Amino acid sequence: MGSIRLNKINKSFGATEVLKNINLEISDGEFLILVGPSGCGKSTLMNLIAGLEDITSGEIVIDGKDISSESPKDRDIAMVFQSYALYPTMDVARNICFGLEMRKTPKKEQEAILKEVSEVLQIDQLLDRKPGQLSGGQRQRVAMGRALARSPKVFLFDEPLSNLDAKLRVEMRTEIKKLHQRLKTTIVYVTHDQVEAMTLADRIAVLKDGEVQQLGTPYEIYNDPVSHFVADFMGSPGMNFIECVVKDKKLIIESSGQRYELTVPCEKELVDSKLDTVLLGIRPEMLTEVTPEASSPYIQEISFDVLVIEPMGADTVAIGEWNNTEVIARLNPDSGKHAGKEFKLQVDTSKAVLFNPNSGLRLR
Amino acid sequence: MLNYLEKHLPKIVLAPTTIVMIVCMYGFIAWTGLLSLTKSRMMPQWEFVGLDQYVRLFANPRWDVAVDNLFIFLILFIIIALVLGLLLAIFLDQKIRVEGAIRTIYLYPMAISFIVTGTAWKWILNPGLGIEKLFRDLGFAGFEFRWLVDSDMAIYTIVIAAVWQSSGFVMALFLAGLRGVDDNLTKAAKIDGASTVRLYWHIILPLMRPVFFSAIVILTHIAIKSFDLVQALTGGGPGYSSDLPANFMYTFSFNRAQIGMGAASAMIMLFGVLAVLIPYLYSELREKK
Amino acid sequence: MNRQTPLSINIGRVMIYLLLVAFALLYLAPLYVMIATSFKDIEEIRSGNLMAPPLSPTFYAWTKAWSSACTGSECEGLAPFFWNSVKIVVPAVSISTIIGAFNGYALAKWRFKGSEFLFGALLFGCFIPFQVILLPMAKLLGSLGLANTVTGLVMVHVIYGVAFTTLFFRNYYVGVPTELVRAARLDGAGFLNTFRYIFLPLSTPIFVVTVIWQFTQIWNDFLFGVVYSGAGTQPITVALNNLVNTSVGGKEYNVDMAAAIIAALPTLVVYVVAGKYFVRGLTAGAVKG
Repeated sequence: MGSIRLNKINKSFGATEVLKNINLEISDGEFLILVGPSGCGKSTLMNLIAGLEDITSGEIVIDGKDISSESPKDRDIAMVFQSYALYPTMDVARNICFGLEMRKTPKKEQEAILKEVSEVLQIDQLLDRKPGQLSGGQRQRVAMGRALARSPKVFLFDEPLSNLDAKLRVEMRTEIKKLHQRLKTTIVYVTHDQVEAMTLADRIAVLKDGEVQQLGTPYEIYNDPVSHFVADFMGSPGMNFIECVVKDKKLIIESSGQRYELTVPCEKELVDSKLDTVLLGIRPEMLTEVTPEASSPYIQEISFDVLVIEPMGADTVAIGEWNNTEVIARLNPDSGKHAGKEFKLQVDTSKAVLFNPNSGLRLR
Repeated sequence: MLNYLEKHLPKIVLAPTTIVMIVCMYGFIAWTGLLSLTKSRMMPQWEFVGLDQYVRLFANPRWDVAVDNLFIFLILFIIIALVLGLLLAIFLDQKIRVEGAIRTIYLYPMAISFIVTGTAWKWILNPGLGIEKLFRDLGFAGFEFRWLVDSDMAIYTIVIAAVWQSSGFVMALFLAGLRGVDDNLTKAAKIDGASTVRLYWHIILPLMRPVFFSAIVILTHIAIKSFDLVQALTGGGPGYSSDLPANFMYTFSFNRAQIGMGAASAMIMLFGVLAVLIPYLYSELREKK
Repeated sequence: MNRQTPLSINIGRVMIYLLLVAFALLYLAPLYVMIATSFKDIEEIRSGNLMAPPLSPTFYAWTKAWSSACTGSECEGLAPFFWNSVKIVVPAVSISTIIGAFNGYALAKWRFKGSEFLFGALLFGCFIPFQVILLPMAKLLGSLGLANTVTGLVMVHVIYGVAFTTLFFRNYYVGVPTELVRAARLDGAGFLNTFRYIFLPLSTPIFVVTVIWQFTQIWNDFLFGVVYSGAGTQPITVALNNLVNTSVGGKEYNVDMAAAIIAALPTLVVYVVAGKYFVRGLTAGAVKG
């Protein structure tokens, strides 16, 4: 078991408030990701859960028990650190067993656990090496092994993949996901990488300035962001934001002498807001080459001046100017080759979102 | 209870040191400060006489000589040790083949006590049998070198011995500093066509500013505390012509039974160190911010 | 722009090498003079000069310096004082190093409110001129019944050495990632176990640096030795100074030199064997301070 309830958590260092009134319920076996820009308080929140720092006010409840004032070793939590924090003078085996040793687990049992854990993580040939002799990926595995060995109620991962190169990062990401599916232990995972957040999480909590902006499944966060900040933070390449004039439930855009009227799904909210201008948020994959067979009230053809083309392999990113704003489109590689001045694109506004340009909040 | 203990263990571990520090450093400084305001002679007595001891101290010609000597010593010692140390460091930084051995030789005097240094130089500078005789044997019949027994020159023998002992250390400081200079910087300067002299003068030396600072602070500190070297080399003599404040303090406190004045002289030494230290720490801390 | 012919490069480098070697000889000269003189008899000293090698080497001066030279009223050579120094150095170095290790660990990795201030206050202890605590410490030792005892000297060296040892360890441990402490805490290791299992095994280099530093400082100390020791408990530096200044019969420079070398030998040996750590200690104690 390992459900966590964070109840009105506040944390300040001196006069600086790092976390403000955090309330989160994490159910047993859930994979929760805390994501946000650096300085948003996500690592502090993790340290509070681990007990490495004291909360200023509020309570942390694990499995119905308030553990706010318990010391880290009594919380039954294991953590994987960004720098791995492997004990440099101990070999891999002792690194993994150190927590068991401190808890006075019988030697026999330690050995059995070591065997099991090292097989799961495929580090059984490395047991007598020192951390200094391991590659980055191997260190990562050992760090996970150390956490696994204690079979705790909760795993905490603090940006565990940020020190790996790009290829290894993707590999380890998959491994972590497999591991979670197999163990079904609660995981709280901090990252600033939104791809990691999207791919791994059951639910994502987006933090900014010490507050939870939005909590939801990756799908909700991606398609139904509550604010300009969340929309901007998730997705790569990022969402396009275009300032438009509102006129009769439609959005008016003027670009290169052309005038476009866009229909958006949330007409009622648009009217209710009584705004003259709004921020239109539209994902790059909704700006594509023209597909003649597509037809819907939301689809419209536009003319687009492509300035830069970035072929990614599977698709091609075209960056250009539209309505005096830099806009990113996602094309298939073949049509990407021909992109240039006055290129024809189609805009699909069926999933577009609108934000109040003053508050940054979603119109809904 | 156990958790409480565990939580406060760092403080408990530091407590004895903290207490001893408060008593034996700050408490003692205060004690000496108070003592300097009393008319204590042989034994401490707590009859306060205001700044009398300081007035007497500054009226004492022996203290005058000691302070003058300190300035002579300080200035010469620091300048010579800095120049010599810097030059040796720059030369050693030219990819010298036997660098390790040479460095070891320059630095070994730092491992020796000032008493041994003083004893050795006392013999080397011996009027009659020392350097003087060496040069006469080499053919300079009229050569004279009697600084050790010349009350105008005795203080300079202390400079010589102190430079011999400490310049290697300054060299080590600068060498460490030079090794810390980014290689790309020297490469860039060479590509820009800077000559070696220009490179050092305009680019590397300005980077050594912090090293200059720390070297000066340390050398000042060594100079103000220098007591053993004088004791061993000249004994403060001839007469009291080569006394430094530290020797004055010792003589008046322990041989002359003037502990009130001894305490006053110690406080002046402390202020001297603070006068150098505080600006240094201030600039250090400011740079960090 | 700055094209140098191979020849001029060579001349420049030759000059550098010549200068470096010349200075090396200059630094070595006093040591050579000491050794050469210590093997001469007094006749040869009077007839020859400083740099002349001993023609008929004799151990007379060495045996006398070790076992029968007069250091004041007694004439037992330096031997008893050498052992006094050992008796002071061994406990003082061990105790101050161990305390420093714990203090440094607590200050570096278990910060609490005021711990930085505490460290700053302690750091100040590395800089105070000891003259300012000399008188009250004498009083304290007297009232503890430790005046003129080896124990008293050990205590003084520990008290004023802890500032340095703490500084060394603290600065070393600051470089150890704090995440290790956090990982260990989650693994169930507290203050002491984290120190024992994780920090201690990492600490060999800093222990060597600290022990060497403390050993050199305490072995070479003269000020505390001369103020706080009595007839039977003087350390070797004090005895050497007395030996040189005691002139029963004629002045025996060869005995002075042999005695000086004996007093310098332990620290010189340490320097030659572990010079790397010695230098590291010097620069760490200096630059970071």
